[in-house]
Amino acid sequence: MFNLNIRFILLLAWYYGFRTIKRGISYVIYSLTSPLTLLLILLMVNPTFIKLAVAGGFLALVASVALSSAGDAAFLRLELKIQDLYVASTVTQYDYVAGLSLSYLIFSIPGIILYSIIGSLLSIFTLFRAFILILVMMMLIIATSSISYLISGLIKHVRNVWGIAGILSIIMTVLPPTFYPYNLLPNYALYVLMISPVTSASIIVQNAFGFVTPFYLPAIPVLIVETLVYAVMALTLTKWRER
Amino acid sequence: MIETFSLSKVYDKGVTALSGITTTINDRLTAIIGRNGAGKTTFSRIVSTQLEPTSGSAIIDGLDILRDARRIRKRIVSIPQEASPISVLTPLEQVKLYLVGRGLSIKEAHAETIRVLDAMNMRDFKNSPADTLSGGMKRKIFVCMAIASNADIVFLDEPTTGLDPVSRMEVWSSLGELSGEVILTTHYMEEAQELADRVILFEKGRIIEDGTVENLLSKFRGKVRVECPQLDDYDYRIGNRVIKYVNRKDANEYIGLGCKVKPITLDDIFLSHGVQLEY
Ligand SMILES: Nc1ncnc2c1ncn2[C@@H]1O[C@H](COP(=O)(O)OP(=O)(O)OP(=O)(O)O)[C@@H](O)[C@H]1O
Ligand SMILES: [Mg+2]
Repeated sequence: MFNLNIRFILLLAWYYGFRTIKRGISYVIYSLTSPLTLLLILLMVNPTFIKLAVAGGFLALVASVALSSAGDAAFLRLELKIQDLYVASTVTQYDYVAGLSLSYLIFSIPGIILYSIIGSLLSIFTLFRAFILILVMMMLIIATSSISYLISGLIKHVRNVWGIAGILSIIMTVLPPTFYPYNLLPNYALYVLMISPVTSASIIVQNAFGFVTPFYLPAIPVLIVETLVYAVMALTLTKWRER
Repeated sequence: MIETFSLSKVYDKGVTALSGITTTINDRLTAIIGRNGAGKTTFSRIVSTQLEPTSGSAIIDGLDILRDARRIRKRIVSIPQEASPISVLTPLEQVKLYLVGRGLSIKEAHAETIRVLDAMNMRDFKNSPADTLSGGMKRKIFVCMAIASNADIVFLDEPTTGLDPVSRMEVWSSLGELSGEVILTTHYMEEAQELADRVILFEKGRIIEDGTVENLLSKFRGKVRVECPQLDDYDYRIGNRVIKYVNRKDANEYIGLGCKVKPITLDDIFLSHGVQLEY
């Protein structure tokens, strides 16, 4: 684990993330459609939440890119046999997962830029807020990529790949309070939705941006623990060598 | 050197793919042949640490495939039968990425990739995204990875399926230059005959023939194969193809009858086992 092949991780992320943006722009547009549609609907239904929703849009974006990539990782394993190729080499599961996760981050960059522009126009940022947002987004990428890899390992047939990935992405990103204030939720619903790291991430961001007060401090340890737990689960429960 | 001891694999749904394979492989190039579903891929995936066996064990150069997988993986390369390239990446990028994964620096990987792509006549396509390449060229990307990695043991599962005759010869010639041991799965008997120091025939998860090409062909010594539909007294019948083995000196008689006469090849070893089981 402490012997990561950094060169490989960066090159995989560069090739897989950046080349996909460059050569397959439709994927990028697709990845933007769901958060943007929600934003649009919200604008029509209740424009008072618009600033909050733009901040939440960052989270929804990185989470939905990482989660819908569960299909991607399963496809690489089941259909392209790329995982098999790397299993029988010095590449470790850590290198592979890190490279893929990083490529999903690169993959989200066009969307992040778009949201940054909208956010600046609405002047929602301060230095502190931007810092918190970046920190939370990094944790969220790790947590959601881990969930994604965990789920991808459970998929046995290519035919189920895209369906499962789509469902996962919706449950984990659309339901949690990214586009609406978390305090609208009854407590029990909030606790249930905590299963998704997007929920605790949203709470932190909505607090830090001052959209919802007072600060709900438990969200911070919850996000940290969730990120760790999902990452450890992904790397221990998912078999690198097939059983 | 590869040693396996009662290696068995039963897949999830109770399919037995390997039943107790015990063998030692120590030749420069060993060809694994056998009918579809015979267990060839399962065998090479287990031995190359991609798949866990259900029982039994295997040792590569003294290292155990379960306990010492990490050390084994430094010394092997294994190209999956149905591997396909990532569609947005070019051959140059895919091979380079693989070599960087194996520990080369970006610069070394780049130089080695260019060298091998040239040797395999892929120069003109090296910068084309894989989804614009033909099936055979996609396959060659993986052969390039195997050749470029310079491993001690190279597992190739049907590397030449779908390649044209020229490309196939390019692959054969590159395999000749490898310094390590090669385990090659193939359905092309002339390939096995041409390249292999040893041929292992799998059937229903077992090894049923094993030896040099000459060994395997020896039971047909002095014979030829004749094929014609009108023979009543034949050895095999596959659909409407009727096959009989006769002494070479009697061949002319059959040519007179309008039969086709063919020399013995590994195909005949295949037939001598496979056909009775199915027809
Ligand atoms: N993942 C799997 N799950 C269940 N059964 C499998 C799986 N992979 C292979 N099998 C079964 O195991 C047996 C051996 O398959 P294997 O792929 O090893 O054959 P093969 O000799 O490589 O065949 P081919 O020449 O068609 O490539 C077959 O009956 C096959 O259906
Ligand atoms: Mg096979």
